[in-house]
Amino acid sequence: MKTLTIAAKDLTHIFQSVFSLVMMFGAPLMITGLLSFAFGGRTSGTDTFTLPVTRVQVVNLDQPVGAAPGFAAGKLLVAFLQGQALSDVLTVTLAADEASARTAVDEQQAGVAIIIPPDFTAAATSPDRSATVVIYRDPTLAIGPGIVKDLVSRFMDGFSGAKIAGQVTADGLSAAGAEADQAIKDTIVRAYTAWLQSDEHGAEGAAVPRLAVVAPTGAAQPKSQGAARIGPIMAGMLVFFVFFMGGNGAESIIREAEQGTLARQFSTPTSLSVILGGKFIGVMVSLSIQVAVLVLASLLLFGIQWGQAATVMLVSLGLIVASAGFGVMLMSLITSSRQTGPVLGGVMTLTGMLGGLFTTAMPTIPASFDRVALMTPQGWALQGWKLALSGAGVGQTLVPVVVMLVMGSAFLVVGIVLFRRRFA
Amino acid sequence: MPDGVAIRAQDLQKQFRTVSAVRGVSFEVRAGEIFSLLGPNGAGKSTTIAMLSCLLQPTQGDAYVCGHSIRQSPQRVKACLGVVPQDIALYLDLSARENLEFWGKMYGLRGIALRQRVAEILEIIGLTERQNDKAGTFSGGMQRRVNIGAALLHRPDVIIMDEPTVGIDPQSRRHILDNVKELNRQGMTVLYTTHYMEEAQELSHQIAIMDQGKVIVCGTHAELIRLVGERTRLDLTLDTESDALVACWRSIAGIHSLLADHSRLTVLVDDSNLVLPRLFETAAPFGVRITSVMIEEPNLEAVFLHLTGKALRDEP
Repeated sequence: MKTLTIAAKDLTHIFQSVFSLVMMFGAPLMITGLLSFAFGGRTSGTDTFTLPVTRVQVVNLDQPVGAAPGFAAGKLLVAFLQGQALSDVLTVTLAADEASARTAVDEQQAGVAIIIPPDFTAAATSPDRSATVVIYRDPTLAIGPGIVKDLVSRFMDGFSGAKIAGQVTADGLSAAGAEADQAIKDTIVRAYTAWLQSDEHGAEGAAVPRLAVVAPTGAAQPKSQGAARIGPIMAGMLVFFVFFMGGNGAESIIREAEQGTLARQFSTPTSLSVILGGKFIGVMVSLSIQVAVLVLASLLLFGIQWGQAATVMLVSLGLIVASAGFGVMLMSLITSSRQTGPVLGGVMTLTGMLGGLFTTAMPTIPASFDRVALMTPQGWALQGWKLALSGAGVGQTLVPVVVMLVMGSAFLVVGIVLFRRRFA
Repeated sequence: MPDGVAIRAQDLQKQFRTVSAVRGVSFEVRAGEIFSLLGPNGAGKSTTIAMLSCLLQPTQGDAYVCGHSIRQSPQRVKACLGVVPQDIALYLDLSARENLEFWGKMYGLRGIALRQRVAEILEIIGLTERQNDKAGTFSGGMQRRVNIGAALLHRPDVIIMDEPTVGIDPQSRRHILDNVKELNRQGMTVLYTTHYMEEAQELSHQIAIMDQGKVIVCGTHAELIRLVGERTRLDLTLDTESDALVACWRSIAGIHSLLADHSRLTVLVDDSNLVLPRLFETAAPFGVRITSVMIEEPNLEAVFLHLTGKALRDEP
């Protein structure tokens, strides 16, 4: 019972301390949040993400003079852009003239203005003519104007294909001794254009949509690409700050020795083992709460899927034992609380760097670096979490977990022996 | 308690590398009395107490508290002891009540018994009204009172108090001294260390004077005073130094000792009413004026001076 009394008192101290709360929860979530923002903001938490709808103003100046009756390339382009298939990404309205369309973009009432020139149909049907469709865009937008440009380019490519088809047909007829007049060429162009607009090639109601964003599938896949990138970063922050708090929690032994409260505990009928045991339990419980809160918070905030529940629990156990043991050993080596800051900060940062906690965002790491990382408990902890993130089962994470448990137990034994020697 | 003895120290010694902090201390504290260890800073009082509290292992010797050896049965010793450390040993970010509850649990109290005892202690130390305030917001004197209260929770047979009035205001000091007397009146044995002779004089049934790691004398206040013959101490200041006058004064009847430090003299006399006029009479022919006179009735300071040749206080 006294062990729990000491543990409860230490937990009260930890959770009343603003510094502890910031280092336990605030700092890792804030750093990961900043990185998440850098990777494109909060994810929706579904299997796809929603593209922003781009408002488009279209000025159709096309005058299909001389073309085949009923064929107007400008109208076709407008119809294409206003089609149901693109309604999720584009809101298309017709503008009266070019000036008003440009003004709408300048005033950010529209993201893009498309100006279809008067000779658009003529250029579409005549092999030796060309026309320029102007895309006027809001310079602050990237994705929407890019999509519009791509869609218009593809549409224009269709006309180019039609013109080539018409020319090839005319050349073939000519080689066979027949002459292809303009009416035949127009017929070929219209037939090609109609084929291009058919169901098989992505017209409205087509089996294959014009634009689809598909997330990769598989076991324990992150909910978004952003989350996939943030997962290892969050794992690095999780391991670093849990190890830091392991040391910080164990520091209470040094602090209490200086404040006289440890000696006072020794003056009560309580053994050294019970006192140190209580402190160790306090550290373990605080770290367990820290890991649980960080895992859940990062799941809710960043959509990070940590993997199978059993694996996550096992890796958490390894991390908690390793960090608590490492913290107790580290604190047993120092003699005053004035040394705590430099030693705790220095050793945790150095071992964290060696363990690869701060380079999780780097796409390629030299193999030698990975080998060095496994010389530190943080390196093994990070490996365990990376395996969990990849969807590994309990069996696949046993090696890093066992190494963490062994390392943590060894550190703890060394720490307790040194503390017992000091306070005997 | 065996033979009515609460504490029996037998040749306690403590060596810290090259420093002998305690050199063969022996004394007995009878059950129900207040026993003071009096001595200047560095005399070895706190080290002696640390050994009796089982916080330090003696280099040699042993002590028995409530009949239990500090070497053989430290947990039993701790169970019957309440220790008030010299420095405030509390959690300043916990309230007075939370502190007392924690220390009560460390002595094995639980549930209703704990809550009732905490309420009693808060009443005794006069902090019931402020029981929910954080100890860090208290004055030094109030913190001292909580510090003492934490040692009383388990109703110990013996309480050890290590200089509990150092650095506090007179009101809190009075409160603590009254508490000590009240606890003793209720039957508690108190081992009290101090370098304030007035406290030792006011509180103690027995006093052991320590210096340089040893008990140099032990007894009741009256017994110790008799060591200096119940003589009155005169502190004189002259306007000029005069060896001839000092030699003359040494020959005056009724003067038992005379210590000269330039123009300041300390004189032990049987009766100041008889001696003082003689001092003034004899000073004039030597052309020396007595510029100040302080008369002190026999006290522990005089005893310490008599036994060690130096002042008890840390004065230059």
